[in-house]
Amino acid sequence: MSTYRHSLGIRHLVCGSCNGCEHEMNALNNAYYDITREGWDIVASPRHADVVTVTGPMTEAMRVAALATLQAVPQPRVVVAIGDCAAGMGPWQAPPAGSGAGVELGARVVVRGCPPTPDEIRAGLAEAAEVLEARRA
Amino acid sequence: MDSLIFAAAERSPSAFYDEVLNGSHHAPILGAYAEAGYAHYLFLGASGPYARSYHFDGPCRLRALSAARPLLMWDEREMERDWPIEFDGIPRTTVPDGEGLMHFVVGPVHAGIIECGRFTFTSAGENVVHLDAQLGFGHRGVERQLEGLSALEAAPKVARICGGCSAARSFAFVRAVEQLAGYMPDEPIELARLIVAELERLYNHVHDVAAAASAAGYAVGFARGMALKERIMRLCALACGHRLLFDAIPPGGAVLTNRTKLASELNTLRSDLERFLANLFGNASLVSRWQRAGLLTPAVAEACGAVGPAARGSAGTIDVRAFAPYGAYASLTPSIARATSGDVFARVAVKRDEMLESLRLLKVALNALGATPLPEPGVIHPRDGIAYGVVEGPRGCEVVALRVRAGRIARLHVISSSFRNWPVVVRAMEDTIVPDFPLVNKSFNLCYACADR
Repeated sequence: MSTYRHSLGIRHLVCGSCNGCEHEMNALNNAYYDITREGWDIVASPRHADVVTVTGPMTEAMRVAALATLQAVPQPRVVVAIGDCAAGMGPWQAPPAGSGAGVELGARVVVRGCPPTPDEIRAGLAEAAEVLEARRA
Repeated sequence: MDSLIFAAAERSPSAFYDEVLNGSHHAPILGAYAEAGYAHYLFLGASGPYARSYHFDGPCRLRALSAARPLLMWDEREMERDWPIEFDGIPRTTVPDGEGLMHFVVGPVHAGIIECGRFTFTSAGENVVHLDAQLGFGHRGVERQLEGLSALEAAPKVARICGGCSAARSFAFVRAVEQLAGYMPDEPIELARLIVAELERLYNHVHDVAAAASAAGYAVGFARGMALKERIMRLCALACGHRLLFDAIPPGGAVLTNRTKLASELNTLRSDLERFLANLFGNASLVSRWQRAGLLTPAVAEACGAVGPAARGSAGTIDVRAFAPYGAYASLTPSIARATSGDVFARVAVKRDEMLESLRLLKVALNALGATPLPEPGVIHPRDGIAYGVVEGPRGCEVVALRVRAGRIARLHVISSSFRNWPVVVRAMEDTIVPDFPLVNKSFNLCYACADR
């Protein structure tokens, strides 16, 4: 078990982001950051995920789908808010924008930035791995 | 621009309809939108954007232009939803149904690192009969949230409507603001803005070309392309202090530092980029996968009002940088990349040629700029009125329509290239097999954020 304890299945959930955070999330897979070296992988199904990264302020149109996606992720799971919008500190704070996807979905780890750099996101994911390990223990 | 509106005030709805329809025979339509009391139809003339406007006092009834110009379908639906305008004859698309047809829904949560949006496919066997793009899941109400702000307060928010075309949108916004302020930026500022805009085109296009390789199963091309994109994003951070160029084009100014380093890095980049492109385009099986996929005929492209590389891959001729030159493009005219086959290959080839042309423009602009210091941003006080900023972003024509009252934004409307092109993607999917959707979609690689707003 210890061999795999830091591995993460990461499911990315966009809740009205501007796509800036997605550019940086995508960069995690390029040759410079290559998170597969950490045993981390962006997974296609919420059912395969340990960590859900969320971006955007949340929107009225996305709220139901976002909750359903989160509920499909097995426990223990960690929600990571990526970027200022998800942290509730972005430029769009009035309806139909929500109060931050991370705030609404109960993020345990928050990565600030507009957008955060790939290194900052990587640090947030490492923190999520620690949280997950503590919850499994 | 205001004079046009007041001249327009007294016409009957049918006279207005004829005027817009006739106007559209001479100049491309950029889109339509409404504000309190007015419906505006925007055109792009060789000397810049202009509007034909209809004044209404209370609820009014207009003949839908979209019946004759289907590209206006989404615009007029939005006007009808948000303002007391009722349109006669907006075409309604119906989802086909019947024996042997299957509907399936993808989204709004996607399997990769992709924005939110939903697609409903109708297929007969493997072939897509109909595709319904249901957007708006990322609707944050940005236009409403910008109202009441000053231009300076709004600028960082405008840069954050959409991450992938931030610089282009800021560019369009500041052009509208500066027009109302009667402010002409100095030449060094205009050159710096051109450099910012071309850096944005470069990182977007290399991403799109790499994604088109990935969608065709060519992992090596994808990996090399994304590594090149990372290098360009680092150059953006070096030159403008932000990997995605946010806030690099503020009202009255531009941000550009480390020019010598930028110039030398771009030189190295050029040879690596050429090698990357030669590898892709020299790969016969990849190229044949791109050819004839996602066909967009020139006739459909024109009828749907396609813009940007999507249009230029289907025999389109318009690039705002050359058609209605603005800023430094007035003296530094780009040569316009074109293709006629309308398939994935054509769109990728147009982006390839545009990247190389961007590198040339960057070199010339950096040379012309030399070590000239950029002036501090001027003080911008937009006067009351209406102005339009139109620039060529990575995905095509980016429009910002701005109305200022008492020094504050009374209405700001964004017509993005992605808003224009989503209905085009839908048409390109007709008669294409379902598994080709990622390939066709990535050859356009549109944003959701600036279409949803």
